[in-house]
Amino acid sequence: MAIVGTFACEEDFLAAAENLKSSGFDTISLLSPVPVQEAQDVLGLGKSPVRHFSLAGAIIGAFFGFGMCVVTALTFILPTGGRAIITVPPYLIITYEMTILMGVIFTLIGFHVVSELPAWRNRPYLPCANIDRFVVVVENAADSEAARAETIIREAGAVEIQHVEDSE
Amino acid sequence: MFDHGQPSYAEVNKDVLSVMLVTGPRYWMLLGGTMSVAAIFFFMPWIYQLFVGVGAAGMNRNAVWGTYLSNFIFWIGLSHSGTLLSAVLHITNSQWRKSIYRSAEAMTLFSLMTAVLFVMVHLGRVWYVHWSFPIPNQMGLWPNFRSPLMFDVMAITTYLIASSIFIYMGSLPDFAAVRDASTGLRRRLYTIFSFGWRGTAREWHTLGWAYTFFAVFVIPLAVSVHSIVSWDFALSVVPGLHHTIFAPYFVCGAIFSGTAGIVTVMYCLRKFLNFERYIGQEHLDNLGKLLILLSMIWSYINILELFGSWYGGTSFELEALKFKLTGFYAPLYWEMILFCAFVPLLMFSRKIRLSWNKMLVVSILINIGMLTERFIIVATSQPRKFLPDAFGFYFPSWIEISITVGSFAIFATLFLIFIKCVPAISIYEVKETLKPLRRNA
Repeated sequence: MAIVGTFACEEDFLAAAENLKSSGFDTISLLSPVPVQEAQDVLGLGKSPVRHFSLAGAIIGAFFGFGMCVVTALTFILPTGGRAIITVPPYLIITYEMTILMGVIFTLIGFHVVSELPAWRNRPYLPCANIDRFVVVVENAADSEAARAETIIREAGAVEIQHVEDSE
Repeated sequence: MFDHGQPSYAEVNKDVLSVMLVTGPRYWMLLGGTMSVAAIFFFMPWIYQLFVGVGAAGMNRNAVWGTYLSNFIFWIGLSHSGTLLSAVLHITNSQWRKSIYRSAEAMTLFSLMTAVLFVMVHLGRVWYVHWSFPIPNQMGLWPNFRSPLMFDVMAITTYLIASSIFIYMGSLPDFAAVRDASTGLRRRLYTIFSFGWRGTAREWHTLGWAYTFFAVFVIPLAVSVHSIVSWDFALSVVPGLHHTIFAPYFVCGAIFSGTAGIVTVMYCLRKFLNFERYIGQEHLDNLGKLLILLSMIWSYINILELFGSWYGGTSFELEALKFKLTGFYAPLYWEMILFCAFVPLLMFSRKIRLSWNKMLVVSILINIGMLTERFIIVATSQPRKFLPDAFGFYFPSWIEISITVGSFAIFATLFLIFIKCVPAISIYEVKETLKPLRRNA
């Protein structure tokens, strides 16, 4: 079962999140219409692993870009006035572009992996969380835990509390 | 930032989404109009040209580049401010960016698409375009990566993909808002587009990091794209084009014209989509100041370019310079100087900077000047190459003029479709600029 608490103001929402976290609830989701730095701090979200994807993509892109030019030049040899077949300066431009392209694509992949999106399955969600409400969701709570979580959420000043069945 | 009082969070959703979800007959008439103009002025002449060959255009033996390529540079240039400005202002955490960046990024995307169309038109036999990509083809032909034209292919493809991802990622939370506010097929579509976004702290956190990395990648990319476009010309040995100053000249001109384009687009958004509440005088003031700065840098680089040609002292550079300043196209050159170097100085007046109508006129004049600049670069250089027997003359044919006109309709069509598919203003970022939902706020 999931407990879904709705809050009208940020302080109450953060208080509920902090209290739930300090009471040992680990499977909580904090939904908000805008990014709230303090909510991310409560969950202990520090540096994102997305940056590793970006770096990996950039490095792979650089090697791929240069490699593509070299392989292309060797596959279809175009002798130009006795110049080298593998010409580094122009290939650096392609390398630069491929570094960025792969960096961007890998960052996109990293975003999806880290944020666990797409997630089209039915998860506890209230559309008002995308308008002007803050929502705390305690997921997979056993009956005894659910009552304790509900008390914490209510005491923090929730304007509404709902019980929904977990889909997973 | 808000000229007509601060809206509530719910009002932001309502105002922005109503533009998407409510469509009146005026919109359909406008869309029909732009599509018709695009079909008549762009696609029909292009089809005609495909049948009779590129000889239908005004290009000739001494001027193998014409309006198609000058328009290509113009549209690439116009694409520059959206994503670049958005990325720079994101990195520097500028609050005023938040209500204008979505449409500015869309401008980038659609300008790029229009620019790519001009490459297709210029190619002639467009069905061979895949030869320029590093993929196996029936001829066993592989592209020559030493050619600046291949730099172009790679740079523009990268820019198109990166800009699309950048705008899509920024729109993700807003797609969820559209999903929540709609029903039926639209709801199903936006459920897919939003990837099941809920706005959890983890999702916001990851999006924040990813978006910042996108911005970091996009800034050097945008600078490289127009530098590379400039090398299409500067790496040739044609007098009037073979200048080391071309890369910064093109990049500066691109940002200049793109920023002016943003002013024009913002005017239309305010006027026709009723976004007066979100796009205020602060945006106009800041964009005006940016335009003055860019105009002055552009003027400085222009002087350097003239000086370089004169100081080089070679007869063929001096001939090209003379042709540009006093030849057939001299009136266009001086018109460009007037519109891009002198007209922007009017914005030193705060009164002009804060007037939407005056800024609209200034922004359009700047872009007329920049369109002319691109034309002059192409039309006054190649026909004045080295020896008099290689001299020629280029004047665009009716097909080229028609296709040029049609390209603006294509851009307008894409933009009109965009405003019905994507929230034209970033909902969540506008909310970030409002008073937070706190008890004491």
